[in-house]
Amino acid sequence: MSPLTSSVLTATIQAPKIEYSQVAPMLIVLGAAVLGVLVEAFAARRLRYGLQLGIALVGLLAALVSVALLAGAHHIVAMGAVAVDGPTLFMQGSILVFAVLGVLTMAERSLDPGGTAFAAQAASVPGSTAERDAVGAGIMQTEVFPLTMFAVSGMLLFPASTDLLTMFVALEVLSLPLYLLAGMARRRRLLSQEAALKYFLLGAFSSTFFLYGVALLYGYSGSISLTGIADAVSGATGGDALLLIGTALVSVGLLFKLGAAPFHSWTPDVYQGAPTPLTGFMAAATKVAAFGALLRVLYVALGGVRWDWRPMMWAVAILTMVVGAVVAITQTDVKRMLAYSSIAHAGFLLTGVIATSRAGLSSVMFYLLAYGFSTIGAFAVVTLVRNSGGEATHLSQWAGLGRRSPLVAGIFTLFLLAFAGIPLTSGFTSKFAVFSAAMAGGAAPLVVIGVLVSAVAAFFYVRVIVLMFFSEPVGDGTSVVLPSALTTIAITVGAAMTVVLGVLPGWFLHLADQAAVFVR
Amino acid sequence: MLHTYAASGLVASPASGVFSLTWLLIALPLAGAGVLLLGGRRTDGFGHLLGNATSWAAFLVGLALFAGLLGRGAGSRAVGQHLFSWVPVGGLQVSAGLLLDPLSMCFVLLITFVGSLIHLYSVGYMAHDPDRRRFFAYLNLFVAAMLLLVLSDSYLTLYVGWEGVGLASYLLIGFWNRNPEYAAAAKKAFVVNRVGDFGLSVAIMIMFATFGRVDFVGVFAGTSHASSAVLTAIGLMLLLGATGKSAQFPLQSWLGDAMAGPTPVSALIHAATMVTAGVYLVVRSSPIFDAAPTARLLVVAVGAVTLLFGAVIGLAKDDLKKALAASTMSQIGYMMLGAGLGPVGYSFAIFHLLTHGFFKAGLFLGAGSVMHGMNDQTNLRGFGGLSKVMKITWLTFGAGFLAIIGFPGASGFWSKDKIIEAAFVGSGWQPWVFGLAAMLGAGLTAYYMTRLFAMTFHGQARWSDDVHPHESPLVMTIPMMVLALGSLFLGAVLGPTGAITGWLEPVVGAASEGGTVLAPTVISLATLALVVIGAGLAWLAYGMRPVPTAVPAATWATVAARRDLYQDAFNEAAFMRPGQYLTRSLVYVDNRGVDGVVNGLAALVGGTSGRVRRWQTGFVRSYALSMLTGAAVVVAALLLVRL
Amino acid sequence: MRTILAGLPGLAAATATAPAMGTGEVWLFWILAPIAVLAALGMLVAKKAVHSALLLALVMFCLAVFYIAEQAPFLGIVQIVVYTGAVMMLFLFVLMLVGVDSSDSLVETLRGQRLAGLLAGAGFAALLMGGIGSAALGTRAGLGPQSASRNVVDIATLLFTRYTWAFEITSALLITAALGTMVLAHRERTAPRPTQRELSEQRFRSGGQLTPLPAPGVFARHNGVHVPGLLPDGTPSELSINKVLAARGDIRSGQELDTPGIAASTEEEK
Repeated sequence: MSPLTSSVLTATIQAPKIEYSQVAPMLIVLGAAVLGVLVEAFAARRLRYGLQLGIALVGLLAALVSVALLAGAHHIVAMGAVAVDGPTLFMQGSILVFAVLGVLTMAERSLDPGGTAFAAQAASVPGSTAERDAVGAGIMQTEVFPLTMFAVSGMLLFPASTDLLTMFVALEVLSLPLYLLAGMARRRRLLSQEAALKYFLLGAFSSTFFLYGVALLYGYSGSISLTGIADAVSGATGGDALLLIGTALVSVGLLFKLGAAPFHSWTPDVYQGAPTPLTGFMAAATKVAAFGALLRVLYVALGGVRWDWRPMMWAVAILTMVVGAVVAITQTDVKRMLAYSSIAHAGFLLTGVIATSRAGLSSVMFYLLAYGFSTIGAFAVVTLVRNSGGEATHLSQWAGLGRRSPLVAGIFTLFLLAFAGIPLTSGFTSKFAVFSAAMAGGAAPLVVIGVLVSAVAAFFYVRVIVLMFFSEPVGDGTSVVLPSALTTIAITVGAAMTVVLGVLPGWFLHLADQAAVFVR
Repeated sequence: MLHTYAASGLVASPASGVFSLTWLLIALPLAGAGVLLLGGRRTDGFGHLLGNATSWAAFLVGLALFAGLLGRGAGSRAVGQHLFSWVPVGGLQVSAGLLLDPLSMCFVLLITFVGSLIHLYSVGYMAHDPDRRRFFAYLNLFVAAMLLLVLSDSYLTLYVGWEGVGLASYLLIGFWNRNPEYAAAAKKAFVVNRVGDFGLSVAIMIMFATFGRVDFVGVFAGTSHASSAVLTAIGLMLLLGATGKSAQFPLQSWLGDAMAGPTPVSALIHAATMVTAGVYLVVRSSPIFDAAPTARLLVVAVGAVTLLFGAVIGLAKDDLKKALAASTMSQIGYMMLGAGLGPVGYSFAIFHLLTHGFFKAGLFLGAGSVMHGMNDQTNLRGFGGLSKVMKITWLTFGAGFLAIIGFPGASGFWSKDKIIEAAFVGSGWQPWVFGLAAMLGAGLTAYYMTRLFAMTFHGQARWSDDVHPHESPLVMTIPMMVLALGSLFLGAVLGPTGAITGWLEPVVGAASEGGTVLAPTVISLATLALVVIGAGLAWLAYGMRPVPTAVPAATWATVAARRDLYQDAFNEAAFMRPGQYLTRSLVYVDNRGVDGVVNGLAALVGGTSGRVRRWQTGFVRSYALSMLTGAAVVVAALLLVRL
Repeated sequence: MRTILAGLPGLAAATATAPAMGTGEVWLFWILAPIAVLAALGMLVAKKAVHSALLLALVMFCLAVFYIAEQAPFLGIVQIVVYTGAVMMLFLFVLMLVGVDSSDSLVETLRGQRLAGLLAGAGFAALLMGGIGSAALGTRAGLGPQSASRNVVDIATLLFTRYTWAFEITSALLITAALGTMVLAHRERTAPRPTQRELSEQRFRSGGQLTPLPAPGVFARHNGVHVPGLLPDGTPSELSINKVLAARGDIRSGQELDTPGIAASTEEEK
């Protein structure tokens, strides 16, 4: 008997202990996703839409309830892989709420005469007879729902991971379904497929940076758990190239995901090409997950070397804000403009991250919540403005919208004002919160730049408002289509929360403040 | 919150008794606007009645509060009402609260009283408009926002009101937005005001950065510790905000175009109340300006320039409403001048603001009445001889006319004279320059107002044949009469009795007499002489001689004045054109087919934007390259930090 | 990692505390490392997809050898079995299906892209090498020696205890991949599948070729699939040969076969 076999035989492995109640939100969403796959396999086609929508919504709401039940938890579970603490729960709650709204908009069937915003059959070649037949037969790609649920489960795990390996797996779990979904738009399919491919290639590229960074951090500290790295950092006397390069590369991977310059170039193309309801969901929820992970890595693992990464983050934040706001000005497509606006917002959020304080954490969490509601609402409004070719996203087609549909234009104006950070909207409160956190964190020049950039950004939001209300309508058949209850609920919730978080944000700010402590 | 917020040590006591109703002032018109906007067509039938009811009810509440304040000693006439905690986290405490003191009381009474009169007038003026309900909803919204502006106890809530009145203003300027010209006017007002609002928001940011608070108590308490550079910066940014909202030089260009709105709007928003918000801002911020002499000097300069600028434009305008708009600009210039003079001028600026609110609203309502009877014409050359057919309008307009030119005894005389007198206080070159400018302005005012009055009501009738002038209904003339009474007697009640200075003293400090470089009697007499000369010359030119209906050829000076002293041309040449050239030379891919507002700054940014946009090629390999470069730079940055 | 770094000149001091590398290991590294790097570069510049795929397999194989030399036999074997074996072969199958000869245009249309790419890549590499090269590597816990005999057990233990959660979550990734493949590749029928009867009726109605196609090489001088069969009158039948082969230009026409040279060569083959 060789030594190898003998050691295998003598080895005893302690059974792993998983605290199922603590990871319940993820388990529920994963369960709903798997159930959705089974429905695809076994349920009759005409039943699938209703079943999938029901499973997705029930799953998400159940997960939301379990998040609420976990409130106050503060420990590391699942063999040290998952942190269940304030930030995790706050962000999981945000992601789940956005997922509910996102699923509602994705399930909308009354806007496009063909069905949902997703292709009838993603496998059919654009423009082919097979595609026409599929549209004619009323086929619907209901796999969208389980894919979304998988993405959500990855997002739930991403900000909760306490080691870089779990975080990497979560990153892939959240990304892969999104790559797929981005290529499944019903209209302008080639644009959508191109976007998906770009997203996939660049996403894979950024993943390699992340992974290389993980390897270097492991090489530095001998551990891939965040606390292990933190211990190594605090134990070391001086900095080490491995640590610094690892920090840089892990940051690159995460900054890509949240769309920070110079890793933002995928954002406008993907936001424009992807089906609009998905874009809204992605913009809101992915940002939460990515910022959650970035905050955890930077605060828990690399808090000790913050003096090293802060200058780099300063530069990234400034570049992101400036690029987002400045390039947005010359955009002529609503979705691209909102994409650049999301880049600019990522920059504003980074100023809060740089604060490296409890206030920074809580303000970023609040900002993410506020921004997500407005973003989902804004993209949902974009789905309503249509002409015979689908969504009318060119800005010139939005001219005079305020006279034809004052309500829709008014709601969109509310979202734009929130993006611009006008008082009494959530945008103001959240910007105020991150800027004051950054100010207290010693980043005053960054705040000054942030305020100036906000002014530039306000210009292009106002331009759209002016265009909607003070311009002559163009007569190219663009009109506002009346949505069903699904999209209506999403827009209403988005608008209501935009106002509530602007007028009476006290409770939410308090909640974010209470939640802003990482378990270590 | 037992902290003083005024120079005299005035302390706001918590609201109790009648003062706990303060919030109703804002809530009533806001509720009206809400019901009318959300109720939709269902409320068409009673929209105007509801609008009036909420406005008048607010006025009654205001009266009750006024009585309550009168019942207190001069030193305790300030009440703070805490509404709710707005941003209540950790070290960041922003609460929404109201502050009722003599200064805001003045505005509350002016806004609710004149506002309610104009609500009443609008019932008749807008009787035939299908969208009358919406109009009243906007008017109510405006009143609520304006009251919030003057009642807030922090710069942040003030900013909310500030944006609110702006919103109502754009909605009302563009009320008839079917007409593209009117929509363009609303757009212009919107853009120009954004520049001003930017100033105010920066001022608030600086305050927060410096003092960590934005409420009046906190900010004013901090002024003693702050450096003069910071205070000057705050002052200048506040001034930028004020010039935007109050149509002062160099952000004055929108006011003339804003006359596109319905005339009651011009009377209420663009004459009596909203445009004076800048003056309120400066007076309210007196502790900051007192500590920042440079900023204050600039306030005076802005006031002086604008008062002459507006008056010169007024000399040549042939459009009734635009001439009145120019005069508004000029009169607010007086107020700014007064506010910038410091404690000697604060209370007189507010005094002039009150009397101006009455007589200018009266003049605008008179103009509206004339237009009502003349098929909405505004060309002065098409009027003439209206005094015979529109007796009430003639008389009430006449009262306003006497007030604005400073006819001895009328309201404007008491208030304007005091500002001119205050402008002569001091030493060095300043009193001479500013004093003489103010005095010259009085003469010009007399000239253009007499010209306007004569061309409208006197001389021979120059109407076209299809016009049948008639007097307006009572619902319109009664507010005009009330305002005429105010124009004639309000000044005499408040000014010589010392009521206004005494009332405001706890907030803005005592207005000491004397210290002028000329004897006050000399100043008064010289001003009066200039007024007589101005009015006389105008009467000779326009009252005695026939006025040609065609616009006569004119000297370059007149043409310049007719064209608003080329302010638009200047804006275009100084900001837009270079911006456009810059854009053209910079922008590589310029397919912005968007009907956007392009002003200079935006064009510059837009040019940069166009260049940066070239990086977005759409090729995934170039994206990957940018990511790789970015990653290399990030790595290098982190390694360099350690070196 | 240790081997690679230790193999770099100038790092002798840094590796002083690590176990010394045997001569064989050094030789192994210096032979395989250049091959791996060259293969990786070749993969990027190869014109044909098949070449790229094979070069990738070579890179992976070299890595597998390194792993084994690093006393990580399990990893090395898995690398060969899963990547070089299964995944690469799947790649090749796909390439065969798409067409072995399809190749991408390698003309760069973006001005300066290549140069900038090279510069950025070189800069990045220089930064990493400079940074990692200067790192003090001696006492890193992560680089400590592993007992060869415990290798598989240790990986199993970690996988089933510390990393259970990550391991389980990976299943979500696999399900997503399977579902995604279905979504992107599976086409649902929009009409019921035609029966055999319907198919034959359709064939007769359309009036095309009714009988089975003639076989290649029949009556010809050569019985390969690339030689058309001859009809009774001696003319070659186009129907007898595969269209793909025809498109690739691999068809020997009747005339060609008649030429003496070709005939001779075919004689020889026989």
